[in-house]
Amino acid sequence: MFPKLDPLLHSELRLAVMSILAGVDEADFTYLRKQTGATAGNLSVQIDKLAAANYITVEKGFQGKMPRTTCRITPDGQEAFQQYVDALREYFPQ
Amino acid sequence: MEQNKEMTAQESLQLIRETMNNSRKAILRNSAKYFLLWGTLLTVMSLVIYFLWHATGKPQWNFLWFVLPAIGYPVAGMMRKNDVAVPQNEISKMLSSVWSVFGAFSVTISVIAICLVPMNVSLIIVVLMGLAECFSGALLKNWPIIICGFLLGVGGAVIAMLVNSEAQLLIFTLGGVLLALTGLIMKFQNK
Repeated sequence: MFPKLDPLLHSELRLAVMSILAGVDEADFTYLRKQTGATAGNLSVQIDKLAAANYITVEKGFQGKMPRTTCRITPDGQEAFQQYVDALREYFPQ
Repeated sequence: MEQNKEMTAQESLQLIRETMNNSRKAILRNSAKYFLLWGTLLTVMSLVIYFLWHATGKPQWNFLWFVLPAIGYPVAGMMRKNDVAVPQNEISKMLSSVWSVFGAFSVTISVIAICLVPMNVSLIIVVLMGLAECFSGALLKNWPIIICGFLLGVGGAVIAMLVNSEAQLLIFTLGGVLLALTGLIMKFQNK
C-alpha cells in the first residue's frame, strides 16, 4: 500500500515553490516567478494557499521604493516537504 | 507551470530535483560575478602597484592596496543591491564567509605590519588566499580550483621567500587571475 501524498504539495507549482524555499533562507516573489515560469497571479494564489497551511510565511515590504514580497519556509513546511519526499521514495523501492 | 496538473510520483521527484538544481545553479551563477569583480580588481591593482614601484623605486606605492577594499566593497554593495531577486543558499553563504574572513585577516595583518610589527605580509596573505581558494574549491566540489588554491598558497609562500618585495606583487597578479578564473568556472559550471 503506497502512502498518501499531501494534496497541498502534490501540485506542480506549489511543489516547485516548496522545493526552492527548502534550499534557501528566503526568496523574493520575483525570483520564485522567474524560477517557476508561472504567471504572477497564479503564483500569488498558490503562495497564499501554502501560507494558509502555515507551510510558508509571506512578508510584504519595500526595497527602496519598490514593493517586495519575501517568502520563507516554516518548520511545519520543512517537515511536510520532508514527509512528502519520504512518501515519494516509497513508490520506488531500492 | 500549472498548479492543477496531475503528477505521477516519478514526475514529482523529477520536478523537485530539477527545481532545486536550477535554483542552486542560479544562485552560484550570481555568486560568480563577485569572484570576477575581486579577481579583476586584484589583478589590476597588483600590476599598477608593481609598475609604479618599478618605475619610481618607491615602495610607498604599496599604500594603494588600501584602495582595493575602498573600491571593491562599494561596487560589490551596488551589485548586491541589484541582486535582491536572487537568494542565498548554504554554499553561497559559506563562500561569502570564507572570503570575508580572508579579507578581514589580510587588512588587519597589513595594518599591524605597517604600524606595529614588521613582517612578510605577502607570504602570509598568499597562504591565506591559497587556503580560501582551496575552501572555495571544496565547497564547489571542483578539483581544479582546489589544486590551483593549493599551488597558489604553497608555491606563493616559497616564491615570497625567494624573490624581492617588488617581484612578490606578481604573486598577487596570479592570485587575481585565479580568482577571476574561479568566477568563470562557476559561471560556466552552472549554465
